[in-house]
Amino acid sequence: MQLAPKFPMLTLLSMFYYICLRRRSRSGTRGEALTSRRAVESGQRAVLPVSVEVEQYAKEVLDFSSHYGSENSMSYTMWNLAGVPNVYPSSGDFTQTAVFRSYGTWWEKCASAPPPFRRTPKGFYSQDYIELGFEEPVYPTAVEVLETYYPGAIVQILACSHNPFSQSPPTDVRWEVLWSGDPTKVLTPQARQFSPNIKHISFPTNLLRLEVNSSLLDYYTELDAVILRGVKERPMLALYKMPVIDISDLSDSEEELSDLGGPFRQGGDGKHQRTGNGYFDKLPYELIQLILSHLTLPDLCRLAQSCKLLYQHCCDPLQYTQLSLQPYWARLSDASLGHLQSRCTLLQRLNLSWTGNRGALTQSGFSSFMKACGLSLVCLELSCCHFLNEACLEVISQTCPGLQELNLSSCDRLHPQAFIHISKLTRLRRLVLYRTKIEQTAILSILTFCIELKHLNLGSCVRIEDYDVVASMMAARCRSLCSLDLWRCRNLTDRGLAELVSGCRMLEELDLGWCPTLQSSTGCFQHLARSLPRLHKLFLTANRTVCDSDIEELAASCPSLQHLDILGTRLVSPASLKKLLQSCPQLHLLDVSFCSQIDMRVVQELCGLFPNVAIKKSFTQ
Amino acid sequence: MLSVLSYGRLVARAVIGGLSQTDSRDYSLVTASCGFGKDFRKGILKKGMCYGDDACFIARHRSADVLGVADGVGGWRDYGVDPSQFSGTLMKTCERLVKEGRFVPSSPVGVLTTSYYELLQNKVPLLGSSTACIVILDRQSHRLHTANLGDSGFLVVRGGEVVHRSDEQQHYFNTPFQLSIAPPGAEGAVLSDSPDVADSSSFDVQLGDIILTATDGLFDNMPDYMILQELKKLKNTNYESIQQTARSIAEQAHVLAYDPNYMSPFAQFACDNGLNVRGGKPDDITVLLSIVAEYTD
Repeated sequence: MQLAPKFPMLTLLSMFYYICLRRRSRSGTRGEALTSRRAVESGQRAVLPVSVEVEQYAKEVLDFSSHYGSENSMSYTMWNLAGVPNVYPSSGDFTQTAVFRSYGTWWEKCASAPPPFRRTPKGFYSQDYIELGFEEPVYPTAVEVLETYYPGAIVQILACSHNPFSQSPPTDVRWEVLWSGDPTKVLTPQARQFSPNIKHISFPTNLLRLEVNSSLLDYYTELDAVILRGVKERPMLALYKMPVIDISDLSDSEEELSDLGGPFRQGGDGKHQRTGNGYFDKLPYELIQLILSHLTLPDLCRLAQSCKLLYQHCCDPLQYTQLSLQPYWARLSDASLGHLQSRCTLLQRLNLSWTGNRGALTQSGFSSFMKACGLSLVCLELSCCHFLNEACLEVISQTCPGLQELNLSSCDRLHPQAFIHISKLTRLRRLVLYRTKIEQTAILSILTFCIELKHLNLGSCVRIEDYDVVASMMAARCRSLCSLDLWRCRNLTDRGLAELVSGCRMLEELDLGWCPTLQSSTGCFQHLARSLPRLHKLFLTANRTVCDSDIEELAASCPSLQHLDILGTRLVSPASLKKLLQSCPQLHLLDVSFCSQIDMRVVQELCGLFPNVAIKKSFTQ
Repeated sequence: MLSVLSYGRLVARAVIGGLSQTDSRDYSLVTASCGFGKDFRKGILKKGMCYGDDACFIARHRSADVLGVADGVGGWRDYGVDPSQFSGTLMKTCERLVKEGRFVPSSPVGVLTTSYYELLQNKVPLLGSSTACIVILDRQSHRLHTANLGDSGFLVVRGGEVVHRSDEQQHYFNTPFQLSIAPPGAEGAVLSDSPDVADSSSFDVQLGDIILTATDGLFDNMPDYMILQELKKLKNTNYESIQQTARSIAEQAHVLAYDPNYMSPFAQFACDNGLNVRGGKPDDITVLLSIVAEYTD
């Protein structure tokens, strides 16, 4: 009797015994790594000596500002930058690389490009960015970027102290510049491994950010992979130079921006003040204002702390009619925005693109700033502002009645419902919705009420269901439309296009790249050419139906043509291109990549005959 | 006391024995490929996994082993299009999809569909058509998921017998279902089947099962009994012996293809349809031979 209760217990124990013996440990394979990291991968936390270097490819692409490819595709999209290289050391225009949306200065030359903001600091060249997460945080010793086509675009590499894969919310996020340089142009478009000398930082990182500027390049730059080399143990002081004070132009700016009301001695009595500023008292107010207008924002904020007179000048709202906070995206916070509020009552152009990275700026900080300063706002740049939500757009629509330009490029976390509020901004002239989730109802509503629209960008707006209906609405309501970007709009047909060009006669720029449903056999391109005599820019990228008759019609009807892209058609011959180049003296950009009838010999011949035209012919070696 | 312990062990063994039907080990496919292009002059291997106008791929992922074959339709050559470009790019794209984990193991049709639409995202204006057959082994669930579009296909052999096979999809004689990208304007004239008309199937596999995936160059020249005869010679699950067997199958099919008197399955089928022919069918031959084995890293 006393043995009975032990049987189940022993059975259980024996089962456990067998199960444990039979179990085989599996090794997970999260992330890409090279052989030196086997020990780490299998979960055995080996103690690595200081000198052992860890090499990693990127595990995941976390964020980026633009790309050439389609959403959900793996061709020419930013997601290709994670993982091992697919193309390097070959060079060429391959699908497996990461490609940004634009290159050169062609887009800046268009009428749809906004003028640059004043006070942009000299060292800030970045046009696009991509953020990569790696598996293991390390103290970086080297960053290598494998560029496989037209290299030279990288202008900044930054590291972040926050681990993007940790479950905890970001606190005390620091971004440190590992390297920065001028945009360059390498002589040949061949692949190269870019490995600049990076600064050594005091925190381990597994989040890198690359910022690029392709303005000097002759074609799209393409990146294949990024390697992060580093050590797991903090490098010893003796081996690496540790700066005593972390002085950099930007790192002080937040203190300056937040320190404005700050410690600042009053000069004794009034008599002291009158004579206290020396010759500055003799200068006219406007002259000092003019001098100050050349300072960058952090300098302006620092100057405000020097004396009462200059404080008065530096806080004058007339110094803040244009405000670009994009160069300071890493350090801008709700507090700094709050401190600037009092100076920005006459604000007309505001650039907050890229700010709000990892919670530094929140929707409440933004909303209160807009409520205080939005009244005279004319232009608002909010590209890649991931803190935005529907409430923010509602605030914008309420507080900025006179808004004429709104850029929400790559705000892909914005809920589709949020875009409805834009239709209240009836004075809008320029609207950029590239890579957003806007849906049919919202865009139709916007087109109904924003009839003054001149520049509209709906590139890669994949949630819009029927582009023909949208085109029809544009033709009916937005007759002053001057530039239209419909890059990758997947179901625009000849019907919609015909309505569009008959309604919007002022169109000068039209991007119909990668729109597969437009067939030249319907005559839609010829109709387009005849209807838009002022056409400056036409992109028919990867429309495989473009043929000689279309080119000839363009030659006959569009003498002002400046930019033309007919990548990937088999049907265009050298003869019709010659006709086009003869009839369009202002043509500066002609992209004939992957056009089977146009080989390098033809390109060279045309370049010789028409030296003012940049003829682009991409290759896959 | 001792008897209690031994009793406990017996019970434990019995229970474990019963439980081990659900084998927790992961499976994998050990695969070898071999093939011959129809055109001797072009050389046997063009670039990696291409045999003439046929193409294939073998890819490993954490969760699955994936194989595929594609038979490029040769008629495009008459219009100046290289038929191997379409099949080769299709297979390479499938391989990339698998390696990057952009697939669901239970949906090989999904792999085909995604891969086909990726072809349309290529700047290069691809033209051509091909059949396709995708086989996915889900490591954990031990299930084989397949999708077949056209007249390529697979056999599953267990204990010397064919237990599963794919069905051919033909529109009419010698015109299989095919994925295609047509030149503009010719969309009406070119046969183009959508990826979702592929036949799919799923079934369990056991350790030691042999899976033969091949293009019609094999099946049209070698009947089942000859293939099974060759497979009997497979001794173990070593890669070398699988490679040897794959090679011998492919070589035999290649020889038979050029035998003018041999009554090949292709000739037999033609006779059944009223065409009086004999002999093998010269064609590109691609053979992927796999054995289900335990997963080792």
